[in-house]
Amino acid sequence: MLELKGVSKTFGGVKAVQNVSMTIAPGEVRGLIGPNGAGKSTLVNLISGLLRHSTGTISIHGEGVDKLSAHQRAHLGIARTFQNLRVFGSLTVQQNIDVAGYSGQASHRNGNDILREAIARFDLADKLHAPASSLAYGQLRRLEIVRALALRPRLLMLDEPAAGMNEQETDDLREALSWVRSQSDCAILVIDHDLKFIMALSERITVLNLGAVIANGSPKEVSENRQVIDAYLGEDYEHAA
Amino acid sequence: MTLSRSQKRGLVGASLLALVLILIGTIATYFGSKYQLRIVYGSYVSLMVVLALQVFMGNARITNLSHSAFMGIGAYAAAICVTPIAMKKISLPSAPWGLNAFALDPVTSGVIAIAITAIIALLIGLILVRLSGIGATIVSLAVLVIVHSLFLYRTDIFKGNQAFFGIPQVFTLTSAIIIAVIMVYVVRGFKESRWGIALRASADDEISAAAMGVNVHRLRLLAWVLSCVLLAVAGIAYSYYLGTISARPFYFNHVFLTLAMLILGGMRTVTGAVLGTFIISFGLEWVRWLETGPTILGQKFPEVLGLSGVVLGSVIVLIMALRPGGIMGDREIEDFILKNTE
Repeated sequence: MLELKGVSKTFGGVKAVQNVSMTIAPGEVRGLIGPNGAGKSTLVNLISGLLRHSTGTISIHGEGVDKLSAHQRAHLGIARTFQNLRVFGSLTVQQNIDVAGYSGQASHRNGNDILREAIARFDLADKLHAPASSLAYGQLRRLEIVRALALRPRLLMLDEPAAGMNEQETDDLREALSWVRSQSDCAILVIDHDLKFIMALSERITVLNLGAVIANGSPKEVSENRQVIDAYLGEDYEHAA
Repeated sequence: MTLSRSQKRGLVGASLLALVLILIGTIATYFGSKYQLRIVYGSYVSLMVVLALQVFMGNARITNLSHSAFMGIGAYAAAICVTPIAMKKISLPSAPWGLNAFALDPVTSGVIAIAITAIIALLIGLILVRLSGIGATIVSLAVLVIVHSLFLYRTDIFKGNQAFFGIPQVFTLTSAIIIAVIMVYVVRGFKESRWGIALRASADDEISAAAMGVNVHRLRLLAWVLSCVLLAVAGIAYSYYLGTISARPFYFNHVFLTLAMLILGGMRTVTGAVLGTFIISFGLEWVRWLETGPTILGQKFPEVLGLSGVVLGSVIVLIMALRPGGIMGDREIEDFILKNTE
């Protein structure tokens, strides 16, 4: 489905992403973890086309996207949310969803047309006609996800969807995302620092450090990996687990 | 085709504005003096310009300073096509390319003028839409200067600051009312269309819009060309009523006047465009009367030349300082009568 081969990105002389190769299967939920500055968000930006990779290839369903701009990749079904919340403040919630929906409909992808129920599941139904700028923080986070779903994605990338949420909200989010997974064969790539959340949600986890992949495997394998413990999880996590 | 909620509301709003335009126009037609009719006609032409400006500035939120140039292109192109050969032999004796050897009917001339304006807009637009913010605004300013210079120096075609006369006066105030009403529907329709919504999304956040599949450059180009086509219509309406045009009205004073109208009313809404136009059009008439040093209640006031410029500039400064979104902000006329949940 999504395939990265030797993808690198340098900013000036700094290697933000180094020789990353990974594949994500349809319907798979993949966690992406690593310390701050590991290159997780940069990788999402490279896949969505907001940044161009320096070397390597990215393809989705066997179709190379290296030369495509961000809006063209969105039409191919690469959807994402933003860590720093980028909704369209002057539009209503419904219009926010529509903007992505136009692209989703134009692609003629169906099979994951679950938008109406998604709006209810993510608790936005009574806010549809409100200006997006009037929403509370948690609602904005959920709108980001529903808006991305309106693209009828084949790959949905969530950049810290649980950031700033309390435990209850995180649990609700996990439940809603499990529902998304049960309704569609879209692959999901999740970045988050909440390890409990990410371990419960993901089938496989990829760990980045200093721009390179240092581990890849099931949540259990990754949490027992020596390199991962040293670079990211720390001794405390090892003892707790 | 089914209309979305915001499109239905847009239809209500446009119809309310149309009603206001028809009402003001009808009152002027029946009760206005010849001088007042001319003033009202002028305000309807200004309204066309401000509505056209709203299409691009309100949705793409990029400041445009070249709109009067495109109005001028439309006005001159139509004037050159429609003016009778006998007239052109007198006024443009040395015109190149046989421009003074043909004459067309007003409708054909109008269509050609719109087409020419659209082609020029498309070529300039291809450069302009790739820039955003201040870069695009500077390009638009340069376009204004280039077009004005051509109007001034190709006197064999445009007559420069001298009057280009002999244009058949085929329009009445009724024509202007009809055109303005149609434009209100077109402009509001564009705002609530999928293109208008996606363009406003890109103005809120260009990166996020691209990630949602919005081709920002293409939509900006669409709005730009539509805006310039409507400006050409305004130019045609101007020349078909007055019968005489010159380069001066299509330059900086006019750019500033119409920009002030849109900013005062609020550039994000069509209601703001209409409101701002009428407040400034009629307000300036009153200021001009004060300028002449009138006698009020037996008290003779002194002449104050240049007062209208001071007032116009002050309006922009005050509105920018106190209410940057203009009088209307994000509200359209129907928001005052329809509930938010409807």
